[in-house]
Amino acid sequence: MIFQGRCISNGKARGEVIKLEEPLSFLGGVEGSTGELKVREGNVAGKILVFPKGKGSTVGSYVMYDLMVHGKEPAAVINEAAETIVATGAVISSIPMIDQIPSVRLFEDGDIVTVDASAGTVDIEGITFKEVVSSVVSKDGKCILEKRPDSCHSYPGHWSLVAGKIEPGESPVDAARREILEETSIKVGEPLGTMDPLYVREGKVLFKVYPFHFDAGNQEVKLNEENETYVWASIEDAKGMKTVTDTELVMTTFLKNINKA
Amino acid sequence: MDLTREEEAILNGEQGEGRQKAMELVTALGKIYGADSLIDITSAHLSGASYKTIGDGGLKYLEDLVGGGATVSVPSTLNPVGMDRTRWKEMHISEEFAQKQLRIIDLYGQMGIKKTCSCTPYVGPNVPSMGDHVAWAESSALSFVNSYIGARTNREGGPGALAAAILGKTANYGLHLDEKRVPTVVIDADIDGSVFSYSLLGQAVGMAIGSGIPYFKNISPEVEEAKALSAAMAASGSIALYHVEGVTPEAGNFDVSELETIHIGKKELKAAFDKLNTVEDVQLIAIGCPHLTEKEMHQIAQFLKGKEKKNKDVEVWFCTSTEIREKCAEDVKIMEKFGPVLADTCMVVAPIEGTFQRTGTNSAKAGNYLPTLCSQKAMCMDIAALMELVL
Repeated sequence: MIFQGRCISNGKARGEVIKLEEPLSFLGGVEGSTGELKVREGNVAGKILVFPKGKGSTVGSYVMYDLMVHGKEPAAVINEAAETIVATGAVISSIPMIDQIPSVRLFEDGDIVTVDASAGTVDIEGITFKEVVSSVVSKDGKCILEKRPDSCHSYPGHWSLVAGKIEPGESPVDAARREILEETSIKVGEPLGTMDPLYVREGKVLFKVYPFHFDAGNQEVKLNEENETYVWASIEDAKGMKTVTDTELVMTTFLKNINKA
Repeated sequence: MDLTREEEAILNGEQGEGRQKAMELVTALGKIYGADSLIDITSAHLSGASYKTIGDGGLKYLEDLVGGGATVSVPSTLNPVGMDRTRWKEMHISEEFAQKQLRIIDLYGQMGIKKTCSCTPYVGPNVPSMGDHVAWAESSALSFVNSYIGARTNREGGPGALAAAILGKTANYGLHLDEKRVPTVVIDADIDGSVFSYSLLGQAVGMAIGSGIPYFKNISPEVEEAKALSAAMAASGSIALYHVEGVTPEAGNFDVSELETIHIGKKELKAAFDKLNTVEDVQLIAIGCPHLTEKEMHQIAQFLKGKEKKNKDVEVWFCTSTEIREKCAEDVKIMEKFGPVLADTCMVVAPIEGTFQRTGTNSAKAGNYLPTLCSQKAMCMDIAALMELVL
């Protein structure tokens, strides 16, 4: 699966991903002579180093150069948003680098990827890409959470918003309406809210999730055979439940203002 | 980004690897910040001069640049280094540090950069004019030339400024553009007008707004006061440009009647003072951040004339540039009775953490960096109050 980013420092590399969820300061974060990470276990040498963005001291650029001098530099760097320190370090150390990829959540440790920095692309090998919708269907500050059966292939036994795959040729909002009707028999109108898509990895599957918020009105929920049961849950309720990744984030985004009011 | 044919040629390596790398860096930074093109610069000022801050990685980088034949194509000056070149033993510097530091200075020299090392090049060897585009690192100096002189520079990092110096060009974005130099907030200042009160004012403004472009009313800084103000705001915040009503050259261009006004008076200065003072006794008193000017050297010598250093347990350092130390030979004689007048270095970029744990300074900038870069507990007071500790 190939994703388009933006070239910051030219070059090509293929290698194994090591990923950080948080912004990285090379000064204090990486040992310049060994490549050993100090903020988590692991070593950056020869790896495709993925992190959201740089931070900290400008001396970090020289730490990257130090890595190169010792032959311990990463094979490539991938950021969501490049800033001066890491961009400078990558260019002066001739480390291929791209930024403006949608999210570091595209990647998992151990993924084999090919970075063509000059073209601004990254190819994640061996993953399946699925576009899905996930909707908060709400009434009185609570929304429907459905319980997936243990036999479900994705997130078995988890509580989920009303979610499903986008069919070929279908727009995300149409898919959201269709899934809600199929799974709950509720007919919804225009969305009350939308969010930027979220990326979620489940093993070798990469989901691009389009979140929506709809009003359930006074309609009654009638589940189809896909889910075991459902509840009307508040943000607080969801905190204690085993939910699909990002469920709380999406609920909070859409429901927090309603709850305040 | 639109590049000229010549710039494209440099990027493609037609003028050698050194210039190609410099072009890659300047265009990469331009891309990140949305520059449309490159612009010619008239000068550069480089940070990343102390071995303490750049380390072995930085030293090797400079070795490789010089090996690749890189030279600067505009007048360029260098920031303070980790020691006085001749009197480093008085600063408790190790032989190994000294050798590496001297090598770094030599390498910058081989690229054609002036080997005087000061954070106040604008009072001597490197004075931009109003409207000049320049590429300056060193947060206090670039804020001074942006604000007090009306030259134009972004907050460059060390390698970025060096790449710009090699090319004679930098990316056209941010503070190079008219529309990015417009004030964002009015500061109604109530201070006593001493240099130290400008340091505290800068500290308080940085704490209040963090970033942005303040427009000051009710102050009238001269060079020394503007130097203290620039340094403090760049350290407590990330402020790279300010305007002063009736003083700085661009201030008259703006209508600030619609802007929010923040009052900075006694209460705010007290909070700034408290933030900078975390210790009550010191082992070192270090004065000259940014470097002392000729006028300040005279004033300190006047103050110390006829007095005697009684407290032998506290060391005193004065920091300035080689040029100013030479110019002020008579003042130096008086000051040396209290401690060395060190040239081309300062308490922040020297490895003082090997010798001291508690340092006093008159500089809000040093007050910010002594705890983080030098592991010091810091005291920050005006020069007379500091000197009282040893009189």
